[in-house]
Amino acid sequence: MAVKRTAPSPPTPRPNPNPNRRAPVSGADAASPSKRMLAFHFIRALARIHRSTPVPRRTRTIRRAAYSSMARAANPRRVWSRALLQQMRARRARTRRAAVLRRRVSAAPATPPGGARSITGEDQESTTLAALARTTAAAVPHRQAGEPARADALRRLVPGGNEMEYSNLLEETADYVRCLRAQVQLMQGLVDLFSGR
Amino acid sequence: MSSRRSRSRQSGSSRITEEQISDLVSKLQDLLPEARLQSNARVPSARVLQETCNYIRSLHREVDDLSERLSELLATSDMSSAQEAIIRSLLM
Repeated sequence: MAVKRTAPSPPTPRPNPNPNRRAPVSGADAASPSKRMLAFHFIRALARIHRSTPVPRRTRTIRRAAYSSMARAANPRRVWSRALLQQMRARRARTRRAAVLRRRVSAAPATPPGGARSITGEDQESTTLAALARTTAAAVPHRQAGEPARADALRRLVPGGNEMEYSNLLEETADYVRCLRAQVQLMQGLVDLFSGR
Repeated sequence: MSSRRSRSRQSGSSRITEEQISDLVSKLQDLLPEARLQSNARVPSARVLQETCNYIRSLHREVDDLSERLSELLATSDMSSAQEAIIRSLLM
């Protein structure tokens, strides 16, 4: 039984002594992302990157941080935000697995590539590689009747777009675009701030 | 708005009407920046989808570009004082 909730009057704001603490979102608007949440996640990631990431890798890491903080700040019920976080996790696991494989291959004595695969080690590698290939292969987009051809391209652009119904795709795209735009505005603001100093 | 949303939730039988679809498409059209599309004009949905794809791609490119600039700026600026300033300005 859905109870229609009217937005309560905002409580008197308490002085916030710790500026780093997450600011409470009053009357959370599900439609647009909270700019504070976006800033909180992204700036925290930036600080971590500034501390611990070597300079040559920073651009890539910052880019990844932009997408994952965007997904974290978004409504977790959104398909695109969940799909994006999954992709990030899979990518991290993939690079870790690839690094392990590389170490294993280089450590093992030279084996012919098409040679005997009886050893369990070889089988593990081949199945892992097959699993990697499966995850990287583009999923066939689920095309519905009456859906315009352009929707295929959209499905590829929006995270998790392949599995959605057409109407869901349109909704998710709108939310994704709004969040992307907010993220770009945040980053632009940070760039302006940093270059102004 | 809420009635529309509850209606689409009930449609496990996928009875999404053309009107709902075109409504969603027009919402997408409203999101596009002014330069890309006349927001008053009635535009075919294929065009809206096309422009949305272009817009998303350009936003991705902006993220890439801004990431690069941020990485350059991070190297040169003092993070802690700037961080305080940002957070304070965002929370005000």
